[in-house]
Amino acid sequence: MMKVEKNKHKLDVILQGDFNLNAVRQISSLLKDRTELTIDLINARFVTSKAVIYMHGLMYADSPVTIKIKNPPKIFFELLKALGLHKMWNLEEIVQP
Amino acid sequence: MEAHLYLEARLQMIGSATDFTYKWCVNMGFDQVVAARMALAVDEILTDIVLYAFKDETGHIEIWFQYTFSEIEIIIQEMGEPFDPERYVYDADKAMKENNFEGASLESVRCMTDQFIFLNRGKDGKEFRLVKRFESADIRDRLPEKYPEQKDDNDVYDDMNDSSAPGGDYLLTPVTSEDAEDIAKLIYRSYKYSYSKEDLYFPRRIEMAIRHEYKFGTIVRTAAGGPAGYFAVIKSTDSMIGEVGEAVVSPPYRKRGLMKIMMESLIDMSRQRGLKGLFGEALTAHTFSQKVNRKFDFRSTALVIAKSSRRTFKGMDFRSTENVSVVIDFLPLTRRWMKPAHLPEPYTDLLNTIYDQFKAYLYRPSADGSPEDDPGKTNLDLMIHHEKNSALIIAREVGNTFELSCKRLFRSIEELNLTAIYFDLPLGRIPISSSVEYLKKNGFILAGLMPFYHEESDYLRMQKIMTDIEFDAIHTFSDVAGLIKKTVKKEYDESRKEQA
Repeated sequence: MMKVEKNKHKLDVILQGDFNLNAVRQISSLLKDRTELTIDLINARFVTSKAVIYMHGLMYADSPVTIKIKNPPKIFFELLKALGLHKMWNLEEIVQP
Repeated sequence: MEAHLYLEARLQMIGSATDFTYKWCVNMGFDQVVAARMALAVDEILTDIVLYAFKDETGHIEIWFQYTFSEIEIIIQEMGEPFDPERYVYDADKAMKENNFEGASLESVRCMTDQFIFLNRGKDGKEFRLVKRFESADIRDRLPEKYPEQKDDNDVYDDMNDSSAPGGDYLLTPVTSEDAEDIAKLIYRSYKYSYSKEDLYFPRRIEMAIRHEYKFGTIVRTAAGGPAGYFAVIKSTDSMIGEVGEAVVSPPYRKRGLMKIMMESLIDMSRQRGLKGLFGEALTAHTFSQKVNRKFDFRSTALVIAKSSRRTFKGMDFRSTENVSVVIDFLPLTRRWMKPAHLPEPYTDLLNTIYDQFKAYLYRPSADGSPEDDPGKTNLDLMIHHEKNSALIIAREVGNTFELSCKRLFRSIEELNLTAIYFDLPLGRIPISSSVEYLKKNGFILAGLMPFYHEESDYLRMQKIMTDIEFDAIHTFSDVAGLIKKTVKKEYDESRKEQA
């Protein structure tokens, strides 16, 4: 379950729960060929590796998607570090205040 | 509180399972971030199971949530398609350069937990074990190094032997979670660093254990309100019995009979709560506690070797021992204790001798106790005691697949490098002589009788010890404990000879 706003190029979602494979599948079905994705994690306690892999795939695809993340939980940063992606991802750009 | 979930293996179920995990962890005393880490670890495992073990097939996943005073363990079991997660090792370079994220989910699990164990039990399924320890303030870091009037540990036992009524004005009350800090301080003031149960130095762990009713006990306070003594029963999680332990009297108040009135109060409280019995794990490095247990009508039933690793005893006339063994002393609190109809062949006489100590509490079933026709499947539960580096296998059902199930389980725990494996076999329902024989062939030796130990039934405990045992350092008090030790030693020596 998520709250969604979209236009031709952009998809904004507010997740109502954790960012896991279920949420990935829902976002993926809505995103289609849009080039901007904003995910608000205000209600998420964690982000799983499947979600990280999904975002990584979008950001580093041949036709990349610009991703913005709002209100990430602390564990999101711990997981990125565990997977060694914290230096590769431009977190200053990705994470919105 | 322990919990068990039985889930359909579908992605849609994962959210409910992680919600429960999170809430359960918070209720058991973890802060929200730690609880979220455990919920994430559970999500990662469940997602992999649904994706790779079951794929498009239907199936079920079981999750057990287990609590001890120092940690929680979440055990996830499934019977889906075999896969070995340990083959997939995460490589961050490969992930960044080749977009290859193989092993990422297990890397996440390892990062979020203190310990992650995968056990492949073949046809009996696969197990994922996630362990997280409680982090809380240690009373030893908050109190001054020096406390006046430190006495030897032996004094606490002298206190038990003092049958006089306590002198002075004392108030004896059941403990509540608000007493936690006073209990930790009492332990520290009385034993400094040498008390065997580490959890008692952590007020938060004591508080949670009392609040969740894992233990109950009594505290003695002076007229001024200061704590003078504490004694508790730790309830078993799968049977209506409890362990008497955690005994302490502050040095200035020893030899006044406080321990005796606390023990009497504990026995009363245990009866009121409907417990069927109390047991004590009496150290064998000395016989003080065995003597005290005897005084309160406890009787010895087993000798469990290497219950925990090397320890130093403060104030004793010896300094350390390689492994700490315990005599199990038992006090029945019911007169409806059924003596099993079938006692296994090699130990019939010894078990009869052990049971004879409890004649007043025992009855024999009126039926002839003929064995069950269809022994059916074997069901083995595994409990790993991470801190003690040992494991307990409980045979809930012993059927015709016993040897095969044992083989699979032994193979799955081979790499854990355990110091000891204990094996509890049910007594009474079915003959277990052949199971005992099989375990002996596999290096197990006797431990003894574990009365009412699981689901209010008697069990025979066997043990496999992977370290050298010095039997001269094991001291027993009663004749029966001596007989048990003689059998255990004989089997240990035989087992060593065979291995050589």
